[in-house]
Amino acid sequence: MLAQVEVPTFWSEPYNSPALWTKLVVALLIGLAVLVGLMYAPVRARRPIVAVVTFFSGLYWVMLYAWPIPINRQDNQLPNGPVEAVGFWLKDSNSVIVSFTQILTALLFGLGIYSLLRIHLQRIVKTQRDWGFSVVLLACMSLMVFFGYADWNSRLGERGAMLDNPANWGFVNFGRDFLFEGLLQQMDAAMFSVIAFYILSAAYRAFRVRSVEATILLGTALIVILSLMGAVSGLWDDTIRSAANGNTFILNFQLTTIADWIRNTFQTSSLRGISFGVGIGLLAMGLRIWLSLERTGGSA
Amino acid sequence: MDGNKLQSIPKPILYLLLILVTTIPLFADLSVPNKPQDAAIDLYAELMKLEPGSTILIASDWTGSTRGESKGAFRAIMKILMRRGVKVAFYSSADPQAPRVYQDALTELNKEHVAEGGKPYERWSDWVNVGFFPNAEAATNGISQDLKGAFTGRKDFPPGSVPKDVFASPVLEGKEKVEDFKMLLVITASKTSNITVERIYGKTPLAFAVTGVMVPETQVFYQAKQLVGFSGGLKGVLDLETLLETGVNYPDKATAKVKSEKYDTIEGFPGKKNKGQGTKYYPTLHFALAFMILLVVVGNVGMIMSKRQAAAGGAK
Amino acid sequence: MAGEQYLDTGWFGMLVTLLLAVFILVNIRRAKGGKDLFIRRIAGLNAIDEAIGRATEMGRPVLMVPGLSDTVNAIAVQAINIFAYVSRIAARFANPILICCYNAAVYTLAQEVIRDVYQQEGLADRYDQDSVRFVSDRQFAFAAGVSGLILREQTAATFFMGEFYAESLIFAETANSIGSIQVASSTEATQTPFFIAACDYVLIGDEFYAASAYLTRQPVLVGSLIGQDWGKMMIMVLLTLGTIVNSFTLTREVTSEKVDGVFNTIPARKAKLDDSPFNQLIKPSKPKITVERPIDPTKAAPAAGGGN
Repeated sequence: MLAQVEVPTFWSEPYNSPALWTKLVVALLIGLAVLVGLMYAPVRARRPIVAVVTFFSGLYWVMLYAWPIPINRQDNQLPNGPVEAVGFWLKDSNSVIVSFTQILTALLFGLGIYSLLRIHLQRIVKTQRDWGFSVVLLACMSLMVFFGYADWNSRLGERGAMLDNPANWGFVNFGRDFLFEGLLQQMDAAMFSVIAFYILSAAYRAFRVRSVEATILLGTALIVILSLMGAVSGLWDDTIRSAANGNTFILNFQLTTIADWIRNTFQTSSLRGISFGVGIGLLAMGLRIWLSLERTGGSA
Repeated sequence: MDGNKLQSIPKPILYLLLILVTTIPLFADLSVPNKPQDAAIDLYAELMKLEPGSTILIASDWTGSTRGESKGAFRAIMKILMRRGVKVAFYSSADPQAPRVYQDALTELNKEHVAEGGKPYERWSDWVNVGFFPNAEAATNGISQDLKGAFTGRKDFPPGSVPKDVFASPVLEGKEKVEDFKMLLVITASKTSNITVERIYGKTPLAFAVTGVMVPETQVFYQAKQLVGFSGGLKGVLDLETLLETGVNYPDKATAKVKSEKYDTIEGFPGKKNKGQGTKYYPTLHFALAFMILLVVVGNVGMIMSKRQAAAGGAK
Repeated sequence: MAGEQYLDTGWFGMLVTLLLAVFILVNIRRAKGGKDLFIRRIAGLNAIDEAIGRATEMGRPVLMVPGLSDTVNAIAVQAINIFAYVSRIAARFANPILICCYNAAVYTLAQEVIRDVYQQEGLADRYDQDSVRFVSDRQFAFAAGVSGLILREQTAATFFMGEFYAESLIFAETANSIGSIQVASSTEATQTPFFIAACDYVLIGDEFYAASAYLTRQPVLVGSLIGQDWGKMMIMVLLTLGTIVNSFTLTREVTSEKVDGVFNTIPARKAKLDDSPFNQLIKPSKPKITVERPIDPTKAAPAAGGGN
């Protein structure tokens, strides 16, 4: 069964094995050495170093897009020539490089936590304005981390699948459920539902027939909203259908038909137009970053 | 009456009225006539086409915040897949909370499925949890380029055992690349839908279940035939629930409640528990939309009155 | 050098991408060479100075949110570039700033950039490292945190630029409720209507990318913007050509169709969009090719089958 054939890579040492730990420690030491090296590098050299690293990091993704991917490749095949060899390498490296980006994301998350802790601990120690909120924040964060980790840990063993059934839960599982389902999910939903109120007040304030354009906008919005209201659109469409009596021109005035026409002509084409602009802008920005053509921050 | 007052009703009053308008219909058993949209009919038809025992991928990228819409869509879709015995590999790249949320929803659904006489939809043999992938762009690209590499090392629970590699499960048996799945269904409230089209379109049929606000951008993909179907917002959920009950051109074209020129007969599941959030919440949405239209009219009447009053004042 | 890549997208897709890149690079070179290039006025960007000026008069902070990108991508970098400009002006007027980050990597970048800005202005002593802060990487926890900051700090000017989702209206309405002047832009077309309804000024679509060029007039950015416009013109031409060719094709009958990259003769039928040469250029049908390769003796043979 192919599913169980592991492709050995530099990273595929058995879980918890001394070889994996050795590689982890060596990688950590190399990482630290590079970090120290960068810190002590002359200021003038930093920009070229960043430019070179950025270029090579970006080059992989550009090549992944542009280089021909070998056709019908099987896992046990060797490449035909250097072009295919590069194609093989690009594809095989993908999961490793994706893992790198994920590890980097996790590492940077630590910096975010540090920022939070610094700001809020400082506020508590100096009893600054609203320091009580900081206590709540840190307490919630610690509780969530504790119960989240403990719950995850309890699911690692043989009992893991059994914990899908709440009858088998222990204290930490109930704790996690209370914090995650009982609080976090509900607060998330509450924040999201706040949008309903804001949509109402924004629509009430903004939808005014101040100009011809605003009137067209309001009319279009009204048609689309009414078409979503089954009771209204059903009644309207039935009336039109019975009035049309087979006349296909009159059938065009069904609410759902007009709304579909608005969606499929004006809406999709304008969204595509915006997407083209945003896409090209993104490409330009990506090129400038990749080739280090622009200094982030700029100047006024 | 003072036009200015009509234009500046205090927010607390507006919000209080909205609470009343959206809450009261929840206590009444109201039903609203519904004509499923083409996109939802296409999604239903594609799901009903899947053979029992085949496997699809589901990117379940929703959490508690959008459960009003996304959970309804998830439940309706999973009812179809459970009843038809289609296997599913779940993953998420939008939110680390998502795997917990879909696992809890599946536990709930399985209980209901068994209660209505269905075969238990078991973890590991019928569905497998591949888990969360940070960085949606990189993760989706990884899945597109090398699914096996992206999923390698992910573990899930066989019954009564320690976690094992997901590729050892019957769900992912023989699966190496995204093309090996019959469909990739993205249930999302975030931009993972766009990323999926950018990275995976053309490799396997794509279908989405998105929130109401995402319908316009999803319509673009559907119109360009990059999606085989989609369910959008609460209306989409109601459409799926309606289709679960009625099917399409079912039992025959003459007597069918939902008709479509595009398809032959597609069965429904009458007699089972098909109604859910869509049916329950849709009347509320009706009243909320009607209230919004009313307020916009009031605001505009106020504006016109103010202008007339100002003109009359100026003329004096 | 045949590969799946070119069978999937065709050489034409590659060529268009390459041309877009060339347009941008050529124009950057032109602008660097001293060529005076014109950019039209963008109302939303003129409002930036006005917003900061107002905040200074009121002695209240300027709040900025560089979107909810889940990593440092080009959108987040562009947002920070705009905020660097805003921070520079605010620093000159000794106006407090607050930058709220959703993602830890964006937070790290923003901190570095804003510190640099203060140093370049010779105002390092005015830089408060807590002015750039990580709030949360949970969408609605972030929305709640930022809304709380807007209300507590009574910000006079707020800038929302980058990737925004459902929280856009929460921010905009909260800032509106305290009379804060708002300049916003979301690369997500879905959220732009919400910003338009609730904010004072909105940059639509790629105006977001034009912002730094417009504000700083750096030749690299101005040239890049002109290159983007060339790209858009090329796409307009392609769209027009495509519409004409496809429309013409649909009026005809065809007697052959391309299957797996090969033309087969068929009984005459009405043409479909897939028969259009333009469609085939953009989305070619893949030929079925089997490539023989040497076998790696160290690896097991794959099992037969695969899918269901």
